[in-house]
Amino acid sequence: MNEPLLVLDNVTKNYGAIEALKGISFSIGKGEVVALLGDNGAGKSTLVKIIAGGLEPTSGRMLFEGKEFLARSPAEAKAAGIETVYQDLSLCTNVDVVANFFMGREITRKVFGIPVLDERAMEAVVGKALASAGTRIPSLRANVEHLSGGQRQAIELNRFVHWGGKLVLLDEPFAALGVEQTRRGLDMIRQVANQGIGVVIITHIMQQAFQVADRIVVIRQGVVAGDVARNKTSPDAVINMITGETLAGAGPAG
Amino acid sequence: MNPRTRKALEFVLDNLVWFMLLFVLVVFSIFVPNYFQLGIFANIIEASSVLGVMSIGLALVIIAGHMDLSVESVAALSAMAVGILFCSSGIGMGVQLHPEWLMVPVSLLLALAVGGLIGAFNGYLVVRVKMSAFIITLASYIWVRGLVLVISGGRSAQDLAPAIRWFGIQRLIGLPLTAWIAVGCFVVFSLIMAKTPFGRHLVMIGGNETATFRAGIRVNRNLIIAFVLAGAIAGLAGWLLAIRTSGATANLGVGLLFNAFAAVVIGGVSLKGGVGTLPGVYAGVLLLSAINTAINLMGLPANFTQVIHGLLVLAAVLLDAFKQTIRQRLA
Repeated sequence: MNEPLLVLDNVTKNYGAIEALKGISFSIGKGEVVALLGDNGAGKSTLVKIIAGGLEPTSGRMLFEGKEFLARSPAEAKAAGIETVYQDLSLCTNVDVVANFFMGREITRKVFGIPVLDERAMEAVVGKALASAGTRIPSLRANVEHLSGGQRQAIELNRFVHWGGKLVLLDEPFAALGVEQTRRGLDMIRQVANQGIGVVIITHIMQQAFQVADRIVVIRQGVVAGDVARNKTSPDAVINMITGETLAGAGPAG
Repeated sequence: MNPRTRKALEFVLDNLVWFMLLFVLVVFSIFVPNYFQLGIFANIIEASSVLGVMSIGLALVIIAGHMDLSVESVAALSAMAVGILFCSSGIGMGVQLHPEWLMVPVSLLLALAVGGLIGAFNGYLVVRVKMSAFIITLASYIWVRGLVLVISGGRSAQDLAPAIRWFGIQRLIGLPLTAWIAVGCFVVFSLIMAKTPFGRHLVMIGGNETATFRAGIRVNRNLIIAFVLAGAIAGLAGWLLAIRTSGATANLGVGLLFNAFAAVVIGGVSLKGGVGTLPGVYAGVLLLSAINTAINLMGLPANFTQVIHGLLVLAAVLLDAFKQTIRQRLA
């Protein structure tokens, strides 16, 4: 790939005496899709939270677009152009689809200098975004609590496609999706990457990783146990890296 | 179900408390002698102004997923501060300002500042120090009332300055200005909650705080503002209370907290947060007031009021659960 978008350099995270991340180093290029694999508790979600501003690393540094980068809050990460889709959905089920889509970025117009929500403009944008992604939701004004799990996840995915930014982090985005929706989701990821946006996707499903990723990074016990191009490896080899039967790439495994 | 009936049903569910209010008013008008008079209806609105204003602040914090038990004591402290400064007998110091109308903004600002400060204190401890809002505001409920007793020495202030009392006497279309202030507050805060990003964010924070934090909304800042607003609004309620009683006593407003809770719950606000609208809360306030008025007119002992309020809260909670089932069937 061309110039790296995000570089992680020896990032660690301790919870008290427990070392969740013992020193992670890898990089993501523009328009590259990196699949982050690893067993439960390997530290994938911790890593995503550090990049997304939900957690601060204990040590190490990150470079985003060549500049020193540390997000102290999700708002900072977002301002830098990093979008995140979390494993447990980040939707407010007590408000409607439109409000969720625009959460924290509402379109407003000034009335006597006071910002007022421009519902009509927002609804039009959401309608267009969902239609172009082929997602069908009965009413954009329905509260999300009345929607199915698949519809909810579709809203999240459409949200990141719409807002884009420069880097997208997906933490098991397809957990609640059906076969057809997953296929469409994977298409969306390619489509986003083709616009030059970097994508990191965490998944447990080997097939998905091989379908969509350019590169596969395996994390095991808080270190990078493997960092290989997809076309130079096989699912079996990756499984061995995850379970630790073969040591490939950087770092000691213990 | 065709879309038309569905829409109608949703409308009824969304505004159920207003229909209840209408139903209660119709029933009382038919069965309670002398109930059906403009004066009575004006009285219902007038009598609910202090409770109404206080309920706004409480509702804001509850919708944002927290709790403020201190509003009643805060209102009492604000009323006492105004009373001590601007009353001319009792413990009142009878401070005079020239021109006289200057006492209005000064006393109002004082009441708002007292409330806002305590709100900021509550908000800081709840949001920054991450303590339970229930405990923090319960503590405030107790110590602020204690402060009222301390500064008043248990005595009262009477004869509020006429320039301030004017708001309780001057009428506009049959209602005193204090009632219009309450109505105005409901309009303003209803608009803020429904139409501005701040209001939308509070509702979403009450629904899923983690999601709003991840979305980059400044959750802590918004919550502290909500607590400050609740305090300041309680201060305003105290100011109205001082005008209404033309002074302040040490036990002023005791019991208002539970009425405010009742109004908020009856108005359709969920104690779990994220659900409820301010117009609904106003309907809840008016409903309580309408029932009180009926009890008075029927000549029942006032002690019945509390029993009825309690049952009403119970009914509201049951109704809320029932509404949820219907909504699920609709979706």
